Amino acid sequence: MKPAPYVLSTTDMAESVIKVEKISKSFGPIRAVQDLSFSVSEASCFGFLGPNGAGKTTMMKMIYGKATCDRDCRGTMDIFGFDPRTDELAIKNLSGVVPQEDNLDEELNVIQNLMIFARFYNLPGAVAKQRIAELLDFLELSEKTRSKIRELSGGMKRRLVIARALLNEPRLLILDEPTTGLDPQVRHLIWDKLRHLKRQGTTILLTTHYMEEAFQICDELIIMDKGLAILQGNPRQLQRDNIEPYVLEILDGQPIDELVRGDLLDSVRADISHEVSRLYADEIDDLQQIAAALHSDNYLIRQSNLEDVFLKATGRSLNAAQ
Amino acid sequence: MPPSNARLYPPLWRRLYSVWFRHVRVYTRHLISNGFPPFLEPLIFLGGIGLGLGDYIGRMDNMAYIEYLATGLLCTAAMWTAAFECSYGTFIRLEFEKVYDGMLAAPITAENLIVGEILWAGTKGVFFSFAVLCVLSLFRIIHLPHALIAPFVGFLTGTMFGALSLLITSYVKTINHFNFYMTGLLSPMFFFCGVVFPISKLPPQVYPIAQILPLTHSVRILRAVYLVQFDALLLWDVSYIVLFITLISFFAVKRLKKRLIN
Repeated sequence: MKPAPYVLSTTDMAESVIKVEKISKSFGPIRAVQDLSFSVSEASCFGFLGPNGAGKTTMMKMIYGKATCDRDCRGTMDIFGFDPRTDELAIKNLSGVVPQEDNLDEELNVIQNLMIFARFYNLPGAVAKQRIAELLDFLELSEKTRSKIRELSGGMKRRLVIARALLNEPRLLILDEPTTGLDPQVRHLIWDKLRHLKRQGTTILLTTHYMEEAFQICDELIIMDKGLAILQGNPRQLQRDNIEPYVLEILDGQPIDELVRGDLLDSVRADISHEVSRLYADEIDDLQQIAAALHSDNYLIRQSNLEDVFLKATGRSLNAAQ
Repeated sequence: MPPSNARLYPPLWRRLYSVWFRHVRVYTRHLISNGFPPFLEPLIFLGGIGLGLGDYIGRMDNMAYIEYLATGLLCTAAMWTAAFECSYGTFIRLEFEKVYDGMLAAPITAENLIVGEILWAGTKGVFFSFAVLCVLSLFRIIHLPHALIAPFVGFLTGTMFGALSLLITSYVKTINHFNFYMTGLLSPMFFFCGVVFPISKLPPQVYPIAQILPLTHSVRILRAVYLVQFDALLLWDVSYIVLFITLISFFAVKRLKKRLIN
């Protein structure tokens, strides 16, 4: 695939191409997005994490005009110099969108789906055909050119939707849960493609439930809950700043009161759900000491990850929207 | 600095055209199953009326009854197809297939999408009227050249019922609600708008209702051109249709947009 048609300089890298300031959105009494602010620099990947109903999708939809912010919202949005409220078409013209659901046209086959979309972008026939061939190749779908949508696997459909979003060589790629429900091979393939696009200068916004996904490809992320930004920053930084590096997971629900005593009370933090107790600590030795005293070997000591940060930030219990 | 080419999105006519084209593409993909029935239906009608009923009813409004009914059918074919397309068809695209969500990711506004939908309903009206025209003139039930107005009236009828059906769809929560629309509004129009018998035969209490229903006006325009009998009432029919399309489309766009944009 050809690189995006402009040259990336080092000064561009630092420049914010998306600036969102205090944007709010309500659905009746539910405040889906509350006073959200963030900025995204060019050719970077920005992630929205959060439980279902946190407002991630709504925020992304507001960026390309599929949702509107509250009428009394005083906030501002600047997407590559355009405001979605007045310049919806310009933003759509420079963006590619991968919605949460694979809304492909089931009545058309693979290439027809893409050709119809090429027409939406006013691409001349010959250009469209060549671009489609390149994209199908890029997403490893060339063999499926004439297949019916029904014949595609979940992973193929997802890749086809991504191909569709790339038709107009977007400067901004918006992906709503790009790899939910896909097998590890496809997920890794999609991550590779996204890294490739980012290197070519595409700015990427995505929502995800997968902490690993965020860790793998996001340069910056927001953890949202109930419409509010809870944590924001670089994934590695967030992990360093917000969670102890080691976890002991005791998987059979043994009572831990007797295990964590004395000095350990200060150095170990416990997070107990019904069946699993998780003990977080800065020193792995503390956890090994506790593990040694366990009656069974049904435990695991591991490094903490972004998921631990996420659960610490948003809580373990489900809310009504989930 | 905003990217200089971002504003080079397709112009309005191009956006409407691409929405319209999407529907044409999907429709023509199953050319036999979609394109054949419109020709078959008037044949069935011919058999049913020509062989049976026609013998019992001689003339109506100075036309052979079969010819009278045939000229009405040129309009109702457009009505039915547009109504189905923009009720069940639209609802399925909106709620089940989520096709619109995909389309709205491209540089197309919700308004473009809905207007494109109405234009497509008008186009189907042209095609269905044309199919009926072909069959009925082939069997010399109706005579050319004046019947050639049919596809044009088909377009107006299709557009009216496309807009009306979209407005209805904007209120519909489950697909079963369309039963009320079909049985409660469209079926009565078929029988009481001058297709099957002249509305002058309606009881005086019902007559004004027929006058405000859209199908009445399509049928009247078509017969007027067909018989070359023009009167002042025709101006009212034309103005009604223009006004109906404008107003109903306006409200359909306004209401349906709320379902497309959160």
